[in-house]
Amino acid sequence: MAEILHVGIDLGTSRSAISASNGERFVVDSYVGWPADMVAKKVLKRHVLIGHEAVNNRTMLDLHRPLERGLLKEGSDKDIEAVRELLKHLLGLVGVSGNGNVDASNVRAVVGVPAAALRTNKQYLRNAMKGIVDSLLIVSEPFAVAYGLDALLHTMIIDIGAGTTDFCVMKGRYPTEDDQRTLTVAGDSIDTQLLKLIEERYPQANVTIFMVREWKEKTSFVGRAPEKIVVTAPVKGVPTDLDITNEMKAACETLVGPVVETMLDLLAKVEPEFQERVRNNIILSGGGGLIRGLPRALEDALKTVGGGRVKYMHDPVFVGSDGGLALAIDAPDGDWEKLSS
Amino acid sequence: METVKRRLLKQAVDDNIATIRGLPPRNVRPAHRFLQLWIRRTPLLLIFLMLAGSTYLASDPTPARDTIAPAKIFLTRAPRHIASAPTSLDATPLDTSALPLSVHRVVIDAGHGGNDPGATSMRHLTEKEVTLDVAARLKALLTKNGFDVIVTRADDRLIPLRDRARLANESDSDIFVSIHVNSIVNHTASHGIETYYLGPTSDPSLTKLAADENRMSGYSVADMHKLVENIYADARREESHRLAGAIQQELFGNLRSVDHGLENWGVKRAPFIVLVATEMPAILAEVGCMSNDAEAEMLNRSEYRQHIADALFKGIRAYASAADAPKKGI
Repeated sequence: MAEILHVGIDLGTSRSAISASNGERFVVDSYVGWPADMVAKKVLKRHVLIGHEAVNNRTMLDLHRPLERGLLKEGSDKDIEAVRELLKHLLGLVGVSGNGNVDASNVRAVVGVPAAALRTNKQYLRNAMKGIVDSLLIVSEPFAVAYGLDALLHTMIIDIGAGTTDFCVMKGRYPTEDDQRTLTVAGDSIDTQLLKLIEERYPQANVTIFMVREWKEKTSFVGRAPEKIVVTAPVKGVPTDLDITNEMKAACETLVGPVVETMLDLLAKVEPEFQERVRNNIILSGGGGLIRGLPRALEDALKTVGGGRVKYMHDPVFVGSDGGLALAIDAPDGDWEKLSS
Repeated sequence: METVKRRLLKQAVDDNIATIRGLPPRNVRPAHRFLQLWIRRTPLLLIFLMLAGSTYLASDPTPARDTIAPAKIFLTRAPRHIASAPTSLDATPLDTSALPLSVHRVVIDAGHGGNDPGATSMRHLTEKEVTLDVAARLKALLTKNGFDVIVTRADDRLIPLRDRARLANESDSDIFVSIHVNSIVNHTASHGIETYYLGPTSDPSLTKLAADENRMSGYSVADMHKLVENIYADARREESHRLAGAIQQELFGNLRSVDHGLENWGVKRAPFIVLVATEMPAILAEVGCMSNDAEAEMLNRSEYRQHIADALFKGIRAYASAADAPKKGI
């Protein structure tokens, strides 16, 4: 029998990552685009574009982000098709393809998806991913993260992604609905807010959401400004330096209120004798975990309930996919047989 | 830690296997062995309900006098506001409890709010402003026409989705209408109207479940409750679909006449959280598209927002006055 490849995939709203047991790791932007018309098809010479390529050629594409708002919309065939293309692309990157090194029939994949997507349309997600790999295990993203970090007991994972912020309290069991929360205040809503604020302050400047997103990823912060934030954007066609320090702060801080509120609410629901342990084991993951000052802001909020500690991942990109890979490797052969599609 | 890991992994696998087999999530899955017994008793339950219903009808202090709707509409529903029925015949608002309408109380949910602005147009109009304004206009219309109205938010603040659903559920309302505005960043040229209702999740067909199971024994009240809930979920979905259809039709029909490029994106299914958690027929209407500049311009005008509210009202009224509109809590 041929060699079996285990993979962990983090299917995110904004980025998707894959970690494979052959040591390969890749991350792509979760964008899938099809040429919008015949001209675009001729220029691009491709049937479908994925990730950064898709974003760069967006004017010629019918562009999709399949898990926007953290859900796979039902009734949208394009979104299903986009999820499938994204999965195939990720698998292709680690060497799985029709004529590549590894045949898809020998792949066992664990796919982590936003908690809200899993909670509401599990069956639909599973059908959408059917037939791409031999065996498939779908789990909620915060669970994959917790598993990868061995943080399975008395821990709270706050995964701030693009479309959603997912909360999950690990109590040593597979998280139930009561252990999880989802907010739509996340990376994307910061981008929209930031764009709006910048346009208000510099009405002449020509700024797109894609530029704003890039600035945010490099310079986001809450609380005291670590430095002055100056970016370059065309004003009436002339590249101009704009100071967006205050706008960045205001936009990023829209996250703090809802996150604090949900965090405290979930904490209050933990059994009293374990609350202190959970408070001291809060883990920020996802891109939002890199917002400077956010762990401190959350710790400040925790002081009202007796204090706590918030850790964050320095490199959150592969935390979810690595967790998925760990799950894939740990699952016994017998279980994988039951999970073949 | 290893034992915890093994246990969690097993639970994750079991959960996936349940999905493959088409079972609903564990916390709503009824105990199998009670099912057959319950199915056998369905006729009994129906007879009981019919008896109860007709007894109620006979004792109803305010029988339907000159209604055009079938009498079944009054079977189990207690008319509200009898006490507040108008005492004079002048311009007091119409009291719908006197009319054969199955919808009395409407929850209007203005999307987003507070820290969460929702979609934003290039001209700084935010979704939260539009939804709040349309909700206020719709509320005025509904109230004027005798409906009871509950709003999930009356000002600019963020109410968690869970609380919106809870408010709706606790207020004993008949329908839930959530107002949102689309933003399709990559297709700024197009703009359209769409209405969502809760799509099929992993509900299995109950018959399949029954076939899987042949053992029988007693059942508890709690199990019974869960079963009824499952069936109710199906009825609610059907009703939500009908409500979505009525609203989409009026929205598109009415707005098209003032906004010529408007596209009809139809009625769709999606598992939005507010729709999952509400216990009455519930829909989510995307009443426009912020990402289209021309439309954002229109949304900025109060007359156009009034048009939207009018159309939503007509949709709700069309649904409410449909002769076969059943009641919630069947």
